[in-house]
Amino acid sequence: MKKSRLSALLMAAGLLAGANAMAGDMRAAVVSNPCAGCHGTDGASAGEAPVIAGLSRVYLMQTMQNYKNGTRFSTIMGRIAKGYDSGQMNDMAVFYSELPWVDGKQDIDADLAAKGKDLHNSRGCNTCHGANGISPMPAAPRLAGQFADYMVVQMQYYQDPAKPKVPMAMPMQGMLAGLSEDDLKALAAFYASQK
Amino acid sequence: MSNIKRRDFVKALGVGTALGAVGFPSISRAGKAKVIVIGGGYGGATCAKYLKRYDSGIDVTLIEKNQNYYSCPFSNEVLGGEKTLDEIKFGYGGLSGHGINVVHDEVVDIDTGGKKVKLKGGATQGYDYLVVSPGIGFKWGAIEGYDEAAAEKMPHAWKAGPQTALLRQQLEAMEDGGVVMLAAPPNPFRCPPGPYERAAQIAHYLKHHKPKSKLIIMDSKDKFSKQGLFMQGYEKFYKGIIEWRSAANDGKVLGVDADEGMVITEFDEFKPAVANIIPPQTAGAIAHKAGLTNDAGWCPVDQKTFESSIAKDVFVIGDSCIAGAMPKSGYSANSQGKVCAAAIATRVNNEKMPDPSYLNTCYSLITPDWGISVAAVYQLDGDAIKGVQGAGGLSPMDASAADRKAESMYARSWFKNITNDIFG
Repeated sequence: MKKSRLSALLMAAGLLAGANAMAGDMRAAVVSNPCAGCHGTDGASAGEAPVIAGLSRVYLMQTMQNYKNGTRFSTIMGRIAKGYDSGQMNDMAVFYSELPWVDGKQDIDADLAAKGKDLHNSRGCNTCHGANGISPMPAAPRLAGQFADYMVVQMQYYQDPAKPKVPMAMPMQGMLAGLSEDDLKALAAFYASQK
Repeated sequence: MSNIKRRDFVKALGVGTALGAVGFPSISRAGKAKVIVIGGGYGGATCAKYLKRYDSGIDVTLIEKNQNYYSCPFSNEVLGGEKTLDEIKFGYGGLSGHGINVVHDEVVDIDTGGKKVKLKGGATQGYDYLVVSPGIGFKWGAIEGYDEAAAEKMPHAWKAGPQTALLRQQLEAMEDGGVVMLAAPPNPFRCPPGPYERAAQIAHYLKHHKPKSKLIIMDSKDKFSKQGLFMQGYEKFYKGIIEWRSAANDGKVLGVDADEGMVITEFDEFKPAVANIIPPQTAGAIAHKAGLTNDAGWCPVDQKTFESSIAKDVFVIGDSCIAGAMPKSGYSANSQGKVCAAAIATRVNNEKMPDPSYLNTCYSLITPDWGISVAAVYQLDGDAIKGVQGAGGLSPMDASAADRKAESMYARSWFKNITNDIFG
């Protein structure tokens, strides 16, 4: 009973959408689904590669472009991003931005997270990344619920003057200057603990 | 209406999850086409799952003879002692939960004309579309004396499971000071970096538990995947433990005497404490039986859809197929399974198949903290799968220890994510 009503609604949706929309969806899915091998089905990573579902379209698009042109350091994404043109990147950015964010499943040390919260506020990280790691700025990535180990590695890149970084992330080098690895782990634990 | 709006509409109905990321909502009714997938590994299980994701109305049956799947990726880490066999074991409950009919039986014959498969259990099942993903078969006897019985004494461990357990037991039982001999196969074969990662993993075990022991890679080739990165890693971590003997240096194993424990090359013979013989390979047995192979023993397919060049409505994915520049790897099979699922779903729905996109990333662990990788993005270029120019490639030779460590983290992350993508 419920099913037949659903089918009728779906049929209406399909008829309204038309073939072009369907083709667009399929095109985006075919170019985006291979990412799941490393980033998880629908971008909901099981860790420690970052969750990419539900990130903003702007951030996803810029990040792929930055990896492609080498303005953001990576171990592997630079090699992969060079394989896609901007149309494909846009399809991926739309595809993953429309999927729901899923918090990374990980063990979090509450004491460490509390220390991280203090650093987040005292260092002014909240200026760009919001009160809890969710920023109103579409170009600043969501940190709440992201994998801590991934964030530590990224923060170490930002600390390293030799690693390329995009202009928008240049302040990160100063913000994180002088922080020890333990401090970075504390910050990461705080963001990872947030919803 | 834009696709975004349409998707919002679907979400508003509360069925976005049921449909998956993409569906064909106008025609989602059960039983519109029956697809049988043979083989529940990296290729077949992915294809079955993504067929349902692309169109839940397609009737999907997965036929797999084993109750559980043991992953070849990360089976080297079982040999090295970093993982247990249970940690590379996966069941099919997740796929059943997606509405896939999982049948544990073995396909013994395919009637491509009559469009039906015959099962060992006696039943016959008809199909509209058939996906064949049987992995590799071994060329028994290509190394003289190396047959299935010999493999019980000199394991290949190139299909994970009991063979992995056997090789691990032999390594554990070996006395300190013993020689492990690893025979690497000729091209093409499953997982090109695999034998060389295995050498590192076994050497890691030897270094920490049997430090007087050695490992000799006996190679049928003069060069291999990620060679520079592997040799650098061997030099750094396993100097004096790993020796690589190329084909030009009499490395090619021509025969064995499994009862006597002998390994024979053109000019020499050895009696190692443990012999891991990875034999030359071919397409899975059922692909041969069904006549889907060419003279070289692999399955030619349309590179856009993976439909067999030999039989209509039959698709071959994974290690058995010839997929242009793509290596025979778990990631390749996963990626091909998705392309094939999209090709079948669009055909069933009379939609146009979009340009396919394929991806491969292979991580190898030299130590638990030292990872290296090779990656490539592929596209259809004319009628061939080719790597996108300027993309992909190897981890840099001069990467820092921190970067190698990050890659080792992403390697373990890859295993979690891809196995969840396939079996979750």
